[in-house]
Amino acid sequence: MHLDVRRVLAKDPWFVTGAGLALLLAVLVLAGPLLAMHDPHDMGFRPLSPPSSEHWLGVNDGGMDIFSELLHGIRNTVLFGLITGVTALVIGVVIGLVCAWFGGVPDHFLMRLADILLAIPAVMILILVAAFFRPSPLTLGLILAALSWPTTAKAIRAQALVVKKSVHIQAARQMGASGAYIIARHLMPELFPLYLIGFAAKARMAMFMEASLSFLGLFDPSRKSLGMMISYALKYYYLDIWWNWLIPPILCLTLLIMTVTFLAVSLEKVFDPRLKETW
Amino acid sequence: MVKVTIDELSVTYRANDHSLLALDQVGLCLLPGRITALVGESGSGKTTLGKSLMGLLPDYAEVSGSVRLDGQDIVGAGEASLNKIRWSRAAMLFQNGAANLNPVLRIIDQVAEPLIQHGRAGKTEATLEAEKALDRMSIHPSLARRFPHELSGGEIQRALLAMTLIMDPEVLILDEPTAALDAMTKAFVSRIILGARNQGKAVLLITHDLDLARNIADDLVMLYLGQVMETLPAKDLLLNPLHPYTLALGRSYPSLEIHRDLGGIRGDAFYRVIHRHSEKNGVLHPHAHVIGAGSSHEDGHLPPKGCLFQPRCTQSVSECSEKAVPLLDAGTHQVRCVRGGIATRLELEQVSKRYGDVAALGPTDLAFRAGEIFCLVGETGSGKTTLAMIAAGVLQPDQGRRVFEGRDMDRWIKQEYRSLARKIGVIYQNPAEAVSHRFSVFDMVAEPLKIQKQSRDNEEIRKRVLRALADVHLPTEPDFLSRYPHELNMGALQRVCIARALVSEPAMVVADEPTSSLDPSVQAKVLKMMLDLQIEKGLTMLFITHDLGVARKIGDRIGVMLAGRLVETGPTVQVIGRPAHPYTRLLIASARGEIAAASAGPGWPNTNACPFAARCDQVQERCAEVFPEQVSLEEGRHLAWCHYPLG
Repeated sequence: MHLDVRRVLAKDPWFVTGAGLALLLAVLVLAGPLLAMHDPHDMGFRPLSPPSSEHWLGVNDGGMDIFSELLHGIRNTVLFGLITGVTALVIGVVIGLVCAWFGGVPDHFLMRLADILLAIPAVMILILVAAFFRPSPLTLGLILAALSWPTTAKAIRAQALVVKKSVHIQAARQMGASGAYIIARHLMPELFPLYLIGFAAKARMAMFMEASLSFLGLFDPSRKSLGMMISYALKYYYLDIWWNWLIPPILCLTLLIMTVTFLAVSLEKVFDPRLKETW
Repeated sequence: MVKVTIDELSVTYRANDHSLLALDQVGLCLLPGRITALVGESGSGKTTLGKSLMGLLPDYAEVSGSVRLDGQDIVGAGEASLNKIRWSRAAMLFQNGAANLNPVLRIIDQVAEPLIQHGRAGKTEATLEAEKALDRMSIHPSLARRFPHELSGGEIQRALLAMTLIMDPEVLILDEPTAALDAMTKAFVSRIILGARNQGKAVLLITHDLDLARNIADDLVMLYLGQVMETLPAKDLLLNPLHPYTLALGRSYPSLEIHRDLGGIRGDAFYRVIHRHSEKNGVLHPHAHVIGAGSSHEDGHLPPKGCLFQPRCTQSVSECSEKAVPLLDAGTHQVRCVRGGIATRLELEQVSKRYGDVAALGPTDLAFRAGEIFCLVGETGSGKTTLAMIAAGVLQPDQGRRVFEGRDMDRWIKQEYRSLARKIGVIYQNPAEAVSHRFSVFDMVAEPLKIQKQSRDNEEIRKRVLRALADVHLPTEPDFLSRYPHELNMGALQRVCIARALVSEPAMVVADEPTSSLDPSVQAKVLKMMLDLQIEKGLTMLFITHDLGVARKIGDRIGVMLAGRLVETGPTVQVIGRPAHPYTRLLIASARGEIAAASAGPGWPNTNACPFAARCDQVQERCAEVFPEQVSLEEGRHLAWCHYPLG
């Protein structure tokens, strides 16, 4: 790896912004329960009271502290996004590499499976599964991951097929390198930008999906989430609560997605030395 | 008829306890009507041998063995009997021209002197005789009466030759007769020497002029550090040597018959000394050393046990430094080599490769000898790379056999591929593609060592990487080691790739158009460096190029390919200078920039036909029907596959 990664990153506005946001979000996610001055499930406050020093973002219609709800919502969304993103990425990379490396029957079978999954809208399946089986958020995340790997797998496979034919891999083979060595040292590092892009896309999609499903009320209502907050806040659009109840969860969702994108873009530049000069 | 036999002749120049061993058990026979040329580097003992035939060695020379002139021993003979032989029966032409003449005597008097001294003639008669002799050497009587300093070098040499021949001796010893002469005078002297041979004289020609030796001598004796390394028919000197020393010497000489010249021989060897040191029990113990560049006595006083040429040889194996070798008979040659002469490193027998219905490579036979550069030329798609990758063991042929260093390559690949991979380095066409752009310079060069698990010791890997980088003239400081490919220019990157190919110290290098992506000045640098490395490391190289100019400059041999078939192979000079295949001629014309009618086009679709039949301007019916038989020219060194070869 480059010795000057840190120096390069420190100069990159994409990374600085993304990292700053990520740090902030990490603090919120990790220290959320401590920062929240109230239990988000405590319904003992005066409903719809405006922001005050006691309730920074006011109280919602059910008498719950909005700020505490927001912190828990961010935490749930981020966890859902991370788990789904990582799982989808791992499945996609493994399947993509298997297809590219072995070819033949496994490649054919897995790629047809991918085509089928691509043809079925994941959101429909999730809505049905969530409505009928009421699974835990973790299960739902894993199901989402199991449905959304094909794009990553196809991208990985395509690129791996190109890289596999490259002269430096031929050279390594000529030197007597094993398949494991070539995959670990030549193939996987070459695909690095795809991991970041794949992860960013999946995590973004998962967080948005989580918000959508909870907006539709398909999650356990006691589980705090940004989507559900937006959904409830919209019911009171005629009251003057948009700035303290509606905007904060929307803003948080946007920031979450931006953070992931910014980090992915900046890391991609650093880890692919050829992009460094041009970007 | 007179015959000179030299048997086990050893000569040592005594000097306290560091004597110089000039000749070591040399055996030789000079026959009437034959020219025997004694060839070797300076200090190999050529002149000592010549002088010992005349009994002219100094007092401090210790001589053993025998030199017999018609049965009369010269080694033990006294001055009086030697004087009877000198000039009259055996005469020597000494080197350094004018230094051998008395500056205060007229030329003609010096030429006449032997006749007078031997009492053959009186002064007037002798002078007349000398005048005739000088006239035969085209020296005008007016010149003959001048003093040595008034004559040119060529005239002096001719006068000396007249003097040597004046008593019509039966044995002639000519020490560097043509050194420092211009081409015309050299031709004149050569004619005189040939004339003497045709009169039935036995001639010993001591020379470092390989072209002279090759053209006028009958037999050659290659001398190295006082030992005969090879004896061979003169015509074989440049094109069919058997000993690596003969090959390397031939390649060092700027002859018009080889294009790859001025190669030199790696390392140095100046002379051999005999030490006498006190042993523990107080006995003086003599033993011989080779003194070369950088030689020291730090490694104790171990005399070389095996072949003297071993440290500089391109094909030495461990056996070479352990076992002394006698001169062995090998056909018309005699060779002093454990391996029986230049070894074959890789042999391809009838290898062929198909991709679907495309015959990428038809059945091909080819052998690569140790220490030679074989250039494969031909247009795109002619199967050059296929052949090269089969030779490198990367691609497996459908049919045929490959033998690498005497071992079946297919079995070797299956059993322990890595140990074979270590012996073959590959250099690719485009250096930017041939390396992972995520590897630093250090990682790239260290990769073969790590893959082949040649060492687990990081310090040793580091040392070898640094040595490989230094070999290709790249910096070795940490800053450079941590550079990435995109930070280097193509020339530097290709050198990194060359370092990578050489870091495991391979015996063979396959280079696939290694300089075609470089600009001319960088290409020149890289090619020169590769040639130096080839000589320094004694590599066998298969060099693929579409550039005939490059092939001509670096190849010992050339192979021309067309549509998956080898159509001509042979020594570079013959293939380029006297091509036998019409396609080669076309290729040469195109390389010169001439635009020929049949410049590009498909091969013949019928694989049985000659692949050039569709484009050949002298095509006949038979060409389209059968692939031509191999035509052997120059005793099988130059092969062509054509029904109607040129020339």
